[in-house]
Amino acid sequence: VRVRFWGTRGSFAMSGPEFLRYGGNTPAVEVQNRAGRRVLIDLGTGCTELGKELMAGEFAQGKGELPVLLTHTHLDHIQGLPFFTPFFIKGNQINILGHQPGNSPLTGVFETQLRPHYSPLFGLENLAAGVSINPIQPGSSLPVEGFEVSAILVPHGTMQTLAFRIQADGAVVVFLSDVEYPDADPPKEVLELARCADLLIHDSMFSDEEYDARKGWGHSCASMAVKVAERAGAATLALFHHNPDASDEMIDRMVGDAQEKTNLVVFGAAEGRALPVTAGALETTVPPV
Amino acid sequence: MELTFWGVRGSYPVPGPHTIRYGGQTSCVEVRNNKGTCLIIDAGTGLRALGQKLARERGDAPEWSYHFILSHVHWDHIQGLPFFEPAYVEGTQISIYAGAAAADELKGVIGGITRHEFFPMPLDAVPAEFTFHEVAPLMPFQIDGFEIVGVPLNHPFGAVGYRIDADGTSVAYVSDTAPFNDVLHKQHFLHGPEALTADDKKQLGRLRADLIKVLKDCHSVIYDTHFTTEEYARFPHYGHSTPDHALELCQEAGVKRLILYHHAPAHSDAQMDDIGRSYKVRGSAVGIDVVVAKERMSMAVGGRKGGKRATTDPGVGP
Repeated sequence: VRVRFWGTRGSFAMSGPEFLRYGGNTPAVEVQNRAGRRVLIDLGTGCTELGKELMAGEFAQGKGELPVLLTHTHLDHIQGLPFFTPFFIKGNQINILGHQPGNSPLTGVFETQLRPHYSPLFGLENLAAGVSINPIQPGSSLPVEGFEVSAILVPHGTMQTLAFRIQADGAVVVFLSDVEYPDADPPKEVLELARCADLLIHDSMFSDEEYDARKGWGHSCASMAVKVAERAGAATLALFHHNPDASDEMIDRMVGDAQEKTNLVVFGAAEGRALPVTAGALETTVPPV
Repeated sequence: MELTFWGVRGSYPVPGPHTIRYGGQTSCVEVRNNKGTCLIIDAGTGLRALGQKLARERGDAPEWSYHFILSHVHWDHIQGLPFFEPAYVEGTQISIYAGAAAADELKGVIGGITRHEFFPMPLDAVPAEFTFHEVAPLMPFQIDGFEIVGVPLNHPFGAVGYRIDADGTSVAYVSDTAPFNDVLHKQHFLHGPEALTADDKKQLGRLRADLIKVLKDCHSVIYDTHFTTEEYARFPHYGHSTPDHALELCQEAGVKRLILYHHAPAHSDAQMDDIGRSYKVRGSAVGIDVVVAKERMSMAVGGRKGGKRATTDPGVGP
């Protein structure tokens, strides 16, 4: 499979020269299998750039289909939706799979996002594409053509987010962002989800020094990401959901510090980067950012 | 008065190499009078960095007040509020003025962006004390030494433009608005331009006349010039204008300086350079100084006695 990072920044989109290498767009990660089928994780501002690329293909003719795995609905993970061009072409089919917390319907969150006070779209019904929003059962396998996908719920501050294990072409990609474990040790089901991942993408919003003052915010530090990767036997670790205040140099330092503590390959997820991932290891060594 | 632009982009933030010089953050402008009092226009993503600056400026002061006037409450104009650092400090008072919505409705709308689905901390749990105020069209009001008047604009679900007078000079903020000839925006979604009734045309004429009256002899006008002429021809129903529309209005109102603002997300730095060059020329042909808003750019309005226009341009960049 090929993994492409379209948005790697957590919480808030950041523009400016100090964010150019790792990127300033909020979360959106695309996984594509060898047959060319795609699945998108999250709809942060990064998805707008993917939208432009998709419009060079069948999505421009209204013949595109895209499954979207949604970790949760905090704004930085959905704010790209109203600007994702394939939504505005009749005939495209976009299936959003996400967690429905409690009794409030998942669709209602998007209805609120697009209500007339907030958006000139005046509501979901004005997206020309076919959009289905489906709450999923954590623990079960998900209906995503071309991929085997399973999901579990993980703690994220006062709420829970979905974490995904995505398999195709014999390779395993695991996405664990917006997560903070209650104990010093990651829970068993998390290690099970990430077991022998060829690529683990993990929340690392904080450096270890920053984390002490930010416990309970719902995000992990770099050494927790390393711990999960090592215990789960992952081959490669991508640090993800960069702090909006972290410049490229600060992320370089965080990645360097994390790399010193482990034999795994560790890198910082960088916007625009496409990574071929195969069973056993990354197909290519990870180039420096 | 002095203006500082913290977000100049329309619709959504666009980080990346193509927006380094003009900036990628959405609508937010800081206005200061000569006494240093601060007024914030719109709370788009540019507000986060302004909030960090204001928090430093405040230091350990136990109490502080911040005043916002909002053009409208589309996401790109309010998204920065949950990331406004001073809101998380005890002793902070935040007053928010907006039009076209009753104060309690406004509270619901602003509170709505921090419902738990969207953001980890709800409005009621934030240490700052918020007050909400409804702006009535064409009714002057005062905030801390600023004389302000709101004027309705032509935008989906409504928006309000503002003229602000202080220190014997004036600045106006006209964003977001469509021009006043092709489309009348109401309270429903437009799939495309709709045929105008006689009443619609009358209403557009009234909106335009009121805006010109409010802008009369204003020194500097920040105007929604989201589209190029070609783009506008394709999307006249999106609720935004072009620099030509802005120049026409400013000329009629006798405005000295036009500041192009609310740049389309797709416009690269190179394209903004071209737009700036081209409208500089067209502006000077009709006696208007045209400037393109850039993130972090500061600019004196009205100038000091005998002084030239003082602009700190954040630069030519890489």
